[in-house]
Amino acid sequence: MNTSNEILEQFVLEARECLEAIGQRLLDIERRPDAPDLLNDLFRSVHTLKGNCGLFEFEALEHVVHAGEDLLDQVRAGRLTYNTAMADALFAAMDHSAELIDAIAAHGQLPDGAMARSRELARALRGCLEGRDAPAAARPAGANAPALPAPPAAPAAAALPDWATALPAGWQPQARPGYCVVRYRPEPECFFKGEDPWQTAQLTPGLLALQVLQPAAWGPLEAFDCYRCQVGFLILSSSPEAYLQEHFRYVPEQCEIATLPAEAAAPQLGDAHQQLLGQRLAQLWSDQIAVLQRPVPTGGTVAAAHQVLLNLLGVRSGLQGADGAALVEARTGMPGDEAGASALASWARQHHPLGPVAGDAPAAPRGISAAAMPGASVPDENGAERGGHKVLKVAQDKIDRLMDLIGEMVVAKNALPYLAQRAETHFRQRELAREIKNQYAVINRIAEDMQHAIMQVRMLPVGTVFQRFGRLVRDLSKRLGKEVQLVIEGEDTEADKNVIESLADPLIHILRNSLDHGIETPEVRVAAGKPGHGTLRVSARQDGDRVVLDIRDDGAGVDTARVRAKAVERGLIPADRADALTEAEAAQLIFLPGFSTAESISDLSGRGVGMDVVRSAVERVNGQVQLHSVRGQGTTLTLTLPLSMAVTHVMMIRSAGCRFGVPMDLIVETVRVPAEDIHRFKAAQTVVLRGRIVPLRSLNELLGMDEPQTLNTEREHAVLVLRWGGEPVGLVVDEFDGTSDIILRPLEGVLGGMTGFAGSALMGDGSVLMILNPKELL
Amino acid sequence: MAIRYLKTYAALEGHLGAEDAEALLAWLRSKPRPLVHLGRCESLHTALLQTLLAFAPAVKAPPANPWLCQALGLTPASNTPPGSPA
Repeated sequence: MNTSNEILEQFVLEARECLEAIGQRLLDIERRPDAPDLLNDLFRSVHTLKGNCGLFEFEALEHVVHAGEDLLDQVRAGRLTYNTAMADALFAAMDHSAELIDAIAAHGQLPDGAMARSRELARALRGCLEGRDAPAAARPAGANAPALPAPPAAPAAAALPDWATALPAGWQPQARPGYCVVRYRPEPECFFKGEDPWQTAQLTPGLLALQVLQPAAWGPLEAFDCYRCQVGFLILSSSPEAYLQEHFRYVPEQCEIATLPAEAAAPQLGDAHQQLLGQRLAQLWSDQIAVLQRPVPTGGTVAAAHQVLLNLLGVRSGLQGADGAALVEARTGMPGDEAGASALASWARQHHPLGPVAGDAPAAPRGISAAAMPGASVPDENGAERGGHKVLKVAQDKIDRLMDLIGEMVVAKNALPYLAQRAETHFRQRELAREIKNQYAVINRIAEDMQHAIMQVRMLPVGTVFQRFGRLVRDLSKRLGKEVQLVIEGEDTEADKNVIESLADPLIHILRNSLDHGIETPEVRVAAGKPGHGTLRVSARQDGDRVVLDIRDDGAGVDTARVRAKAVERGLIPADRADALTEAEAAQLIFLPGFSTAESISDLSGRGVGMDVVRSAVERVNGQVQLHSVRGQGTTLTLTLPLSMAVTHVMMIRSAGCRFGVPMDLIVETVRVPAEDIHRFKAAQTVVLRGRIVPLRSLNELLGMDEPQTLNTEREHAVLVLRWGGEPVGLVVDEFDGTSDIILRPLEGVLGGMTGFAGSALMGDGSVLMILNPKELL
Repeated sequence: MAIRYLKTYAALEGHLGAEDAEALLAWLRSKPRPLVHLGRCESLHTALLQTLLAFAPAVKAPPANPWLCQALGLTPASNTPPGSPA
């Protein structure tokens, strides 16, 4: 059970990857519809997805994916031209598939009624084929409807290529409808790619017969080159086509696979043989009836007779003058395995080849269900093979656990210097202290390397978030009647997984805003002398230990007059203050909570989640947002984020005898302010720093401690100047205490409700450092 | 395992990789009527297979692998013909 769960998880994971790739490719193709490599790539992704579905019984999913594959196959072959209607149908199918995958991931099965929607989408896709023969009939891919193979239709025989019709003598007895013939012609240079075609051919799943295709002439033996592959292979296999495609997936262009139609079973038999075969068949058929009519047939006997009759039915389809329709009818009417002997016997009499016992309908052969049977062990095999890739997929919680352990290790190793100090001062063991320090240096280096390595594991390219943008921009701009080109730069820039993931929602919000409010409609743009299509540029780069993301549009920019008016109207700031703001400051108003310029709540933005959500989301991962807007030329939003959230750089301070940490990225500067320079106005204290008024707050007061802040010997206060919502604020503390890298642990349990603290950290000497959250504090 | 070139014949033994093909080719060229012993050959690379097919040396003992026997047009030493239903 466990294994199948794992396979299912793997399936969901891979299906999601496939869908992501498909979405990306669909967008790429829309941009470059004439690129065959993109189409091939897209087809491969869809095909892989379909193949994966085939391993499970997710019929609704497979149905829609299969239709998509058929459509793409035609496009790829150049028989259809790719167009927007197709793209829309494919996108819709993709969205539906994604929903199904989500449902599978959540419940392990498809939701009820999924099939109806799948049928509808599949019909839409097939509608794009425009009256072409539904290709599904021409390619009985086995996985689609294994329980009910396609009727022996003439077109299927026509589709069989020449090389597959003339099978070597001796293969006929083994060739059955639904079996596959593979012609594998390795390229001459294949040995240099590490391939061993003979080995590959021998390992073909369901291998029944194998023939080496030798060149017509080997040429002069003196010139024979043993490292140029000159042989090919003809293979007969009982596996469905999909498994063979999987087996030969590395050499698809060197392989031709054909599924034997029903007729191929005995196509070259002479009339005399046909007759003989018919007689034998009728005899065997009668034998089965006799067996079934024995007084007490056991379950095993019935099952065996059932299988024999089924096989005979297959042979009958290959006979001359077989009545296809009647055979299909016979197959569908055949009682199941669980049916009793009498039911089977009466069915057998009913459909006797000579039509004697009852009724004269010659039974019809049905494609043998064998095609569906040999697959049982194949999925496992495939799974094992896939495991051989160089990429290891690990659940994130395992990595997180590893990271926690390394964090503890870092803390534990920091205890060694204290130990060394104690050894020296307390126990007077100089020598020992030095040795401890040496050991510490070694452990320190290893721990840092470990920490670095695990951080690398958690690093993801920001491009993983950007991938979704293409679709978003396409859909939104279409809906808004705007022409927008999305340019993405620096998608390889890496950052911690958590940082990247926390970015997704804010970024989508920003993009929506840019599309909705920023970029104008083509007419407005042209009137303003700008190109008709807008450009949305998302770029990422690394700047020291930060990742910088720029989202730039060349739209109208922020309408500061309107923003001011709205902010006043909503009572967010007083009117006189709004007028006093500079242009740049006015633009920042859009970050205020509750701000929205939308007159009515539109589908896209203005749903009450404003830019303040973006800012708080970014600040939650210790990032910053900056807005720069030029009226008429566009808006640039710059997000600055830490590369990793694992280690926090803090400044340690002392106040009222306790030690606290303050995250370094909030600190602008540390200053010492003479006590007499502090202006007091009622309860408010301020100080003038470089011509700017900076409000001061005392930490003891904020924390509810009654002691006054102490002064140093020169009667100066230690002031930490923090950035608070774009304004500097001074935090008066007792003493600065240096900086440290700590692993921040959020407060949990009883302490979880405490405000004013971001968390705690364990210091090397075993003490606990409380990390302040100045934003909550102030 | 590799190829042992004896006085009267070459013995192909075990699993033979592509790197053995060159030597075998040289040996086959040097002999007017080469003879090979495949009785203990378990598998061989395509490069060797096609070399054997091209030169068609006489075979002292056929290999155990039925597919290989069939490919070389030999009667297998064992009783299981290739492709017979298991």
